[in-house]
Amino acid sequence: MSETLAAARAEFTKMRAVRATSVALLLFAAVSVFIAALGGWSAKGAIESDNPGLRSDFTPEQAGLDGILYGQLALIVFGVLMMSGEYTSGMMRVSLLAVPRRGRLYLAKTAVTAVAALAVALPVTVVSYLVTQLALGPHGSTFDADGVPRALAGAVVYLTLMSLLAVGVAAAARSAVLPLAVLLPLVLVGSQILSVIGATKEVARWFPDRAGAQMLTVDSGDALTGLLVLLAWTAAALTAGWLRHRSWDG
Amino acid sequence: MLAERLTKRYGPATVVDDLSFTVRPGVVTGFLGPNGAGKSTSMRMLLGLTRPDSGTATIGGRAYRDLTYPLRHVGALLETSAPHRGMTAVGHLSWLARSNRIPRRRVDEVLDAVGLTGAARKRVGTFSLGMGQRLGLAAALLGDPPVLVLDEPVNGLDAEGIRWLRELLRAKAAEGRTVLVSSHLMAEMAQVADELIVISRGRLLAETSVSEFIGRHGRTFVRVRTPEPLRAAQELQAKGATSVRRAADGGLEVDGLPAGEVNRIAAAAGVPVEELSTHTGSLEETFLKLVDDGGDPTHV
Ligand SMILES: Nc1ncnc2c1ncn2[C@@H]1O[C@H](COP(=O)(O)OP(=O)(O)OP(=O)(O)O)[C@@H](O)[C@H]1O
Ligand SMILES: [Mg+2]
Repeated sequence: MSETLAAARAEFTKMRAVRATSVALLLFAAVSVFIAALGGWSAKGAIESDNPGLRSDFTPEQAGLDGILYGQLALIVFGVLMMSGEYTSGMMRVSLLAVPRRGRLYLAKTAVTAVAALAVALPVTVVSYLVTQLALGPHGSTFDADGVPRALAGAVVYLTLMSLLAVGVAAAARSAVLPLAVLLPLVLVGSQILSVIGATKEVARWFPDRAGAQMLTVDSGDALTGLLVLLAWTAAALTAGWLRHRSWDG
Repeated sequence: MLAERLTKRYGPATVVDDLSFTVRPGVVTGFLGPNGAGKSTSMRMLLGLTRPDSGTATIGGRAYRDLTYPLRHVGALLETSAPHRGMTAVGHLSWLARSNRIPRRRVDEVLDAVGLTGAARKRVGTFSLGMGQRLGLAAALLGDPPVLVLDEPVNGLDAEGIRWLRELLRAKAAEGRTVLVSSHLMAEMAQVADELIVISRGRLLAETSVSEFIGRHGRTFVRVRTPEPLRAAQELQAKGATSVRRAADGGLEVDGLPAGEVNRIAAAAGVPVEELSTHTGSLEETFLKLVDDGGDPTHV
C-alpha cells in the first residue's frame, strides 16, 4: 500500500513538473470563469434590451453552468496529457523502472488525475456559477436556488469523469493526437450537431458528454441516468486503457 | 544478476536466443556485441520492461518487478528512456525520488555528481545529447543502488565525462557493487571491464574475464626488426613459424614461435636483430575475430 501511495505522490510531482499539464489546468479555470462572466454579462444586456436573441429556455441558474462546458475542453486535454506524456521520448520506460508494477502505475496515474481534476473542478464550478450571477446583476440567481446545488455537484462529478475518460482513451491509443482529435470535436460540436438531427438524436443521447450533461442540467429528471451512462463510458475507456497498458512491452 | 535461457522474438527474428549469463558483484562486467546483437533487448528483459518469450531474469534472486522500491536496488540507464521534454532536471529527479521514497537531498547530490547542477532548472528538451546522458546517469545513481545496469553509457559523453564514468564504475565495483555496462566497442570495454559477456546475433559467444578472453582468443605474435627482413622471414618460415607478415613500418610479425625461439633462429642464421618483442592482439581484433567466426560456441 505504501508503495502505491509513493507512486501516487510521484505522479503528483510529475504532473506539476510537466508544464503542459499545469497549463491545461490553469486554462480550464481561466476559460470557464471567462465564459461564465461573458455569458452572464451578455445575457444581462439581452434581457435589458428585450433582445429576442436570448434563448427561450434561458435561466440564470443554467447560464451559470455554461462556462465549464467550454472549460471542459481544457480538462479533457489535461486528462489526455497526463497519460500521453508517458509515450513521448521513452518516458514510460523511466516510469516503469521506478514503478514496475503495471497496475500500480496505472492506478496512481488515474487516481492523481481524478483528484487533481476534482480539486480544480470544485472551486472553478462554484466560482463560474457565482461570476455569471454577479454579471447578471439584478437578474442573477442565488447559490442555493432550487436544483442548483445538485447541478453544481453534478458538474464537478461530470468534469472529473470526463478527465478520466480522457486518460483511458489516451492510454488505449498510446498517444495524444488521436484522443484529442476524437474527444475535442465530439464535445465541442459533434454531439451537439448529432443531437439536433432527428435520425441521430436518439444515439447522441447516449454519448458520454450528452448523457453526462444531464448531471449539470438544473432540474433534469435524467441526471441519474446521465451519471450511469457516463460512468459506463469512463469505466470502458479506463478498462481499454488498462488492457493496453498492461500489455506494454518494450 | 542472473539471466537464464532468455529468448525474445520480434516477429520472425529471434533477437535474443537462449541467452544465459551471470553478473557478479565486485567487478565491472562488460556486455559486448556488435550493433543489433541484442544487448539492449537483454537489458530491458533484466529490468522487466520487455517480456521474454521464455527464460527468466533475476536480480538478487528476484524478478525486477518484484523488487520493493526498485530504484534503491538497481540503477538503470537505457538508450531510449528520456524524461518528458517539458520537465526540468530537478523536476524529473524529484518525482523519481518520491516514487521510491528516496531522500530529497539525493537529487542535489546526484546532479552535482554528474555535473548538472548548473542546468538543474533547465528543461530537459533543451539538453544536449551528453547532458541528457548525464541526467540518465543521475537517475541511475539516485537510489544509491548496489546494482547498476547501464546501456551504452558513454554515448554522447565528452572525453572528460568518459574518464569520470570509468572511474565511477570502477569505484562502484570496488565497493562491492554489481556493474553491468554494455558497449559495441571492445576498446571501450578494455578500459573499464574486468569480466566480459560477449554476444552476437542474440547468442552468447563468451563469458569470461577480459585477460582470459584475450589469452584464449587473442593472436599472440613476435615482432622483429631487422635490416634483413627477407632472409629472416625465409629462415623463420623454414623453422616452424606459421606465418610471417611485413608490418607497415617494415618490421616483421611472426606467428607460431615464441620470442626466444625467434631470437635463436635469427642468431643461428646470422641475421642481426634490432628489436624483439611479444605482442598480444588488441581486444578489438579479438572481438571482431570472434564475431566473424560466426559465434560458434565451440570456439569458446
Ligand atoms: N521493439 C522491437 N521491435 C522489433 N524489433 C526490435 C525491437 N527492439 C529491438 N529489435 C531488434 O532486435 C535486434 C537487437 O536490438 P538491440 O537494440 O537489442 O541490439 P543492441 O545489441 O542493443 O544494438 P546496438 O549496439 O546498436 O545498441 C535488432 O535487430 C532490432 O532491430
Ligand atoms: Mg543497444
